Formats: sequence, structure tokens, C-alpha cells
Amino acid sequence: MNDAYSPLERLARGLLLGFILIWSVAPILFIVSSSFKRQVDIFVYPPRLIFTPTVDNYLKLTSQWQDFFTSMGNSLIVALGATVLAGVVSFFGGYAYSRYRSRIAAWSAVYMIAVRVLPPIVVTLPLFPVADRLGLGDTHLLLILLYATFWVSLNTMIMKNFFDQIPYELDEAAYVDGASEWQLVSRILARLTFQGMAAGSIFVFVFSWNEYLFAMIFATNQAKTAPLILSELMGAVDGTEWGVLFAGVTLQLMPVVLLVTLARRYLIAGLTAGAVKG
Amino acid sequence: MPSLYVFWLSLNQSSYGTGLTWVGLENYRAVFEDPYFWRAAVNTFLVVNGVVYVELLLGLALAALFVSGVPFRGLMFACILMPYAISEVVAVLVWKMMMDPNIGAIARTIEEMGFGRVNWSASPTTGLVLVGVINIWTHLPFTFLMIYAGLLAIDGSLYEAARIDGATRWQRFLRITLPLLVPTLLITLIFRLIFAFRMFSEVWLLTKGGPARLSEVLAVYLYQHGFRYGDFGTASATGWMMVLGSLLLASVFLFAMQRSMKGGE
Repeated sequence: MNDAYSPLERLARGLLLGFILIWSVAPILFIVSSSFKRQVDIFVYPPRLIFTPTVDNYLKLTSQWQDFFTSMGNSLIVALGATVLAGVVSFFGGYAYSRYRSRIAAWSAVYMIAVRVLPPIVVTLPLFPVADRLGLGDTHLLLILLYATFWVSLNTMIMKNFFDQIPYELDEAAYVDGASEWQLVSRILARLTFQGMAAGSIFVFVFSWNEYLFAMIFATNQAKTAPLILSELMGAVDGTEWGVLFAGVTLQLMPVVLLVTLARRYLIAGLTAGAVKG
Repeated sequence: MPSLYVFWLSLNQSSYGTGLTWVGLENYRAVFEDPYFWRAAVNTFLVVNGVVYVELLLGLALAALFVSGVPFRGLMFACILMPYAISEVVAVLVWKMMMDPNIGAIARTIEEMGFGRVNWSASPTTGLVLVGVINIWTHLPFTFLMIYAGLLAIDGSLYEAARIDGATRWQRFLRITLPLLVPTLLITLIFRLIFAFRMFSEVWLLTKGGPARLSEVLAVYLYQHGFRYGDFGTASATGWMMVLGSLLLASVFLFAMQRSMKGGE
């Protein structure tokens, strides 16, 4: 496919690429740059790329909006908890699906996919009273369980794909050498499926870090995560605090932007293996 | 399990702190007779369809561009994936800002270009259009990656052969790429339909379903009834309708999956 493009075609390709780049990145740049602007500079039209940067917004954020930092802490606890839990469960789940075959396993796999298809909001209805009765309402644990459950089905499938690529002869060789199943799994297979683990973990982390619907319904006070607080601030901003809001948003989105940039190799491996978000 | 419980709930009348009262199909009748439900259903249908096809086309164009080579591939990839990693709350916030008729850069640009003032929050139609735009913004990376993976899986020797036979680039795209890409496009389409179908945050954060409940989608309708009005019965009835809708869409996928397995591929 290496025949040359005419200049016109090259221009069209360049334009399309440029358009999509601006489309994807400009809103993010807008947030980040605005967080370093003074109020008067934020709404200058046309927007300027050159301005005198200031960290006032960040200072104000730390001094006045304690809630926001508490909520970032909550987000971190919830996201890490869900990532670890989903990681462990789907690692063993993927192993089991890959190495043991039975009719029950096949059915439960279909069931898992079917459950994944349900709209999350429908799940909140029956869960609400149950969570209340178990005393889990407004706790980190509840959100961790919800987010992990939401992702286990997909991550298990991703892990199964990775386990399937490891030939069974390797297992046999390990057994012949006297390894127990536990040793085989923890020492050898865990290392070989690292890519899948990494990809899956990024999904769970990013999802739990950003999730809004479950958090809004189940975290009323103690366990509020950052997106919730941001949405509240968004409604409450009184016209003078835009810069501070942008500073908060920037802090909230930085971890995931870094994660996606640094770990995109794993992400792509995982997406092509399992390919779902929602 | 949860969905069965929702089904049970949908046959009863209940609210915060009150027990269940059996009412049979009464909730479904109430929902079907509620004009707001139909409004929400139509809104959902329009937005979902508008979003998904535009997104599929953009994703296809972008994937084709990437496959034929772009400069700084790794960096470009990261840039295009970016919106995917960002919270819907943040996405709504920034788009709302940029589209603000008084201060937003995009709204001002549109106005300067002579298309008049866009006051998207004034009418349900423009509100839903903005919801669609935000939805496309957040999910284009997903669509792009799915199609890109599909393109990479096409055997390159086919193109070689076609080129030797003198097919133009456009002919190769139409005769080789598109037909071979149909399964991928189909799966992407179904996934996106299912995910767009459950859309909630964008609408909720942007318009709260307003003005006058005219921009509600089904998930918002459900939320309003369940958690605002405390009417779990009609909320569950709506929920069960959504479950059926999703399963219907998914069954197309599961059916296709099963057929391709039978075909021994």
C-alpha cells in the first residue's frame, strides 16, 4: 500500500488528522491552561495560549476547598481497592476458565457477558435497599465491591485470552519438574500474563477513578469521590471561582492522563483482547 | 439475580420505607401512559442513533488513516486515547464551558461566523445535540481502537495481490477492506449501541432532563422515578424495559458469535 499520495490527498489526510487531534486534545488543554490563568484571562476571546501563569488557583484550592482533597483521597482508596480486588479475582478466574473446561464454565461465561450488558442504573434499584440493610451505604467498601464486580467479567475474559496463549505443555513441564499447581500459577504464569494484568488494572483504575452514577447514588457523604465533588462545585460556582474549579479538575484528571500516556502499550493490548468500556 | 429482583419490584408498588404491595402490571400501564416516558424513549432512540453512526464513520476514517501511516504514531495514539480516560463529569464541564453563549470559545466562534447565538440550554433539541457531541467525544477512542484492531487483522497479502492486478486505492478499500471489516463494524456498532443506550451522566449533569423534562433519556427517567419521586415500581418497570432493550441488542451479538463458532472459524 505504499503508492504515493497526490498533494491534494496528502492535504486532506493532514486536515483530518489535525481536526481529530484538536478535537481530542483541545478541551483538555483548555482545562489545564485555564487552571493557571487569572479569572480575567480565562474568558478572553479569542482564547490565548500566551499568558502570565499563576498558581493562585491552586493555592486557593488548598486553602478553601478541603472537601476536594478528602474526595481525592476517597477516590484513591476506592480505585486502588477495586483494582486490586478485580485483579486478583480475574487472574484466578482467567486461569480457571483457560485450564478447566466444563459445561458449567461455558454457561457461566455466557452469563457473565450477559450481566455485563445490563444498564448499570437498573442494578442500582435492587441494590439500594440491600446495601442499606447491610450497613454498607456510603462506605468505601461498597464502591470497591461494585466497581470490582462491574469489571471482573471483562477482565476475566482478557486474562483467559492471555492464559490461552500460554501452551499447556508449559504447565506439564512444570508439573514434571515437581512444581505444585500453586507454584506454577504464582511463579510462572503470573509473570507471563503480566501484560494482561496491567491492561485490566488500568481499566479498573480509570473507571473507578471517574465513575459517577454509582458514586452519586451510593456515596452520600463519607465516601464521596472526586467526580461527585466536582459536579457539585460545577453547580455551585458563582462566577468568580472558575479558575479554582479548573485547578481541581486538572488535579483530578492528571493521574489518568499520565497513566494512559505511559501505559498505552498495555492498554492497546488489553483493548484488542477484550475491548469494552461503559 | 438483580434483574429478576427488578422484575419482582416492577410488579409491586413500593417506596422508601414502605413494604411491597402487589399491583401486577399496574406499573407498566402507568409507565406506558406517561407521556414523559415516551418522550424519554424517543430522545434515547434519536441520540443513540445519531451518536453511534457519526462515531462509526469518524472511527473508520481515523483508523484507516492510522493504518496507512501517520507521523509520531505513539504520541498521536496517546492524544487520541485521551478523552477515553477522562471522567464524564469533567467532559460535561469543559464542553458546557466552551459552549456557553456568553463566555464559551466555541459558541463565540460560531456566533462570529454568523450562525447566530447558540443557546443550547434553551431548548431540549440543542441540549440533546450537545449531549450527543459529548458522547462522541468520550467514546470515539473506543470505536477507533476497535476498528483499528480489525483493520490490522486483515491479511496484507490481499492488498499486494490487488495492487498487482492494478486496483486503485479506493477500489481496494471498497472491495477488500470494507467487506472484511463488516464483522468488526458490526460488533463495534452493537457495543456502542448498548453503551449509548445506558447514557445517564451527560444528560443528568448538563440539563437534569430539563427544560420541563423534555430532554430526559430512559436512564434519567428511571433515576427520577426511583430516587427522586421514590417510586420504585415504575422505576423498576422502566428498568426492566431497559434490560429487555439491552438484551435484544446483545442477542444480535451473541447470535453472531455463536454462528461464527459453529462455522469453525
